[in-house]
Amino acid sequence: MTKRHADFLSGEGIVMESMPQELLDAAQGFIAMDPPRHTKVRRLLSSAFTPKQISRINDQIRANAKRVVDDIAGKGEVDFVSEVSALLPMHNIFDMMGVPEQVRRRAAYEAQFAGGWNDPELMGDQEVLPRLFEAMGYLREVAGDLIEKRRANPGSDLLTSLVQAEVDGERLSDDDIISFFGLLTVAGNDTTRQSTSHAMKALTDFPDQRVWLMEDFESRIKGAVEEMVRWATPIMTFRRTAARDCELNGQQITEGDKVVMFYASANWDTDVFTEPEKFDLARHPNPHVSFGGGGIHHCLGNQLARQQLAALWRELLHRLPDIEVCGEPSYTVSTFFHGVNHLPVKFTPAS
Amino acid sequence: MKIVVDENKCSSLGMCESVAPEHFEVGDNGELQISQPTPPDGDRALVEEAVAACPTAALRIEE
Repeated sequence: MTKRHADFLSGEGIVMESMPQELLDAAQGFIAMDPPRHTKVRRLLSSAFTPKQISRINDQIRANAKRVVDDIAGKGEVDFVSEVSALLPMHNIFDMMGVPEQVRRRAAYEAQFAGGWNDPELMGDQEVLPRLFEAMGYLREVAGDLIEKRRANPGSDLLTSLVQAEVDGERLSDDDIISFFGLLTVAGNDTTRQSTSHAMKALTDFPDQRVWLMEDFESRIKGAVEEMVRWATPIMTFRRTAARDCELNGQQITEGDKVVMFYASANWDTDVFTEPEKFDLARHPNPHVSFGGGGIHHCLGNQLARQQLAALWRELLHRLPDIEVCGEPSYTVSTFFHGVNHLPVKFTPAS
Repeated sequence: MKIVVDENKCSSLGMCESVAPEHFEVGDNGELQISQPTPPDGDRALVEEAVAACPTAALRIEE
């Protein structure tokens, strides 16, 4: 379905729930656009995410992984989510975007509301729409401030590219740039963190897999990362809206219908995967759809995600080899993110 | 076999390159460079995997 972008539109919103248009416009960027605009806009950022470009920032990715492990190494027991999973992608995407350190944590926190509106821990007794607008307001403030700074003093980061970019001979409006900022903040933070957390739990529950991986880490980690991403399925659902009456696999769809893809179900399809309930780091082929089912919206950050995961597990499993989950995870209540809120882990402290 | 790219469909994502970097490279300008448009037959499986990996079906093999 994701390959039929003319029949199944993204422009009406890409989550199951209906949202006010203002929110849709404010923070979705090109994820909720259709061609021709989608093509032109995504192209503005695609050169920052190519395999070549991601390999250029590999030193930075490795340094961030090292930093995250440095900070927990002496502690012996931590909440893996807040001290590892959440921090790794936060530093990487914000490095790329040029977001200063002092706003990173709050921006990453506010980004969670983009998919966390059903989660009791995140929401407390706040109402959904007001809290979403508040989160949007904060990200807008951060983005607006950075846009001004980069106009005055261009850097070599993504925000500078957006500020200087032109589509059809015109510069992007501030609103456009702010919506891309929102998209990158959410997409860069709230996905890779889930893969990291779910993989930590799986490596604990399937100890033979960890042993296998460590026997020949460098040649096995690439395939292992694919299985971690299949296992985690960080985004469980996306939605499209039918542009016209049409047929999908023999099913009649009516114009205006919402059609929802269930990625976790696809990643457990027994017609496609042998024993999908097994966490099998040697799984090959591994045609998971966690980065998408194909089409023009295929995850732009897939290389970044893969490189981050490889870097983190290299650092973590070599330096804290006995790290394991030591308590019950608490999962995010969501129709969108397959999230983990807390994951207690323990390990022998190291330096 | 000949590798053909439809430049209108290519979105410079680089899935092809991540499967077969010896054959495909997305340049900094977003353009795909195919190092051997008619690769040796021994590379068929790898090239087919790379072609299948393209999410926008921008690549095809012509015999």
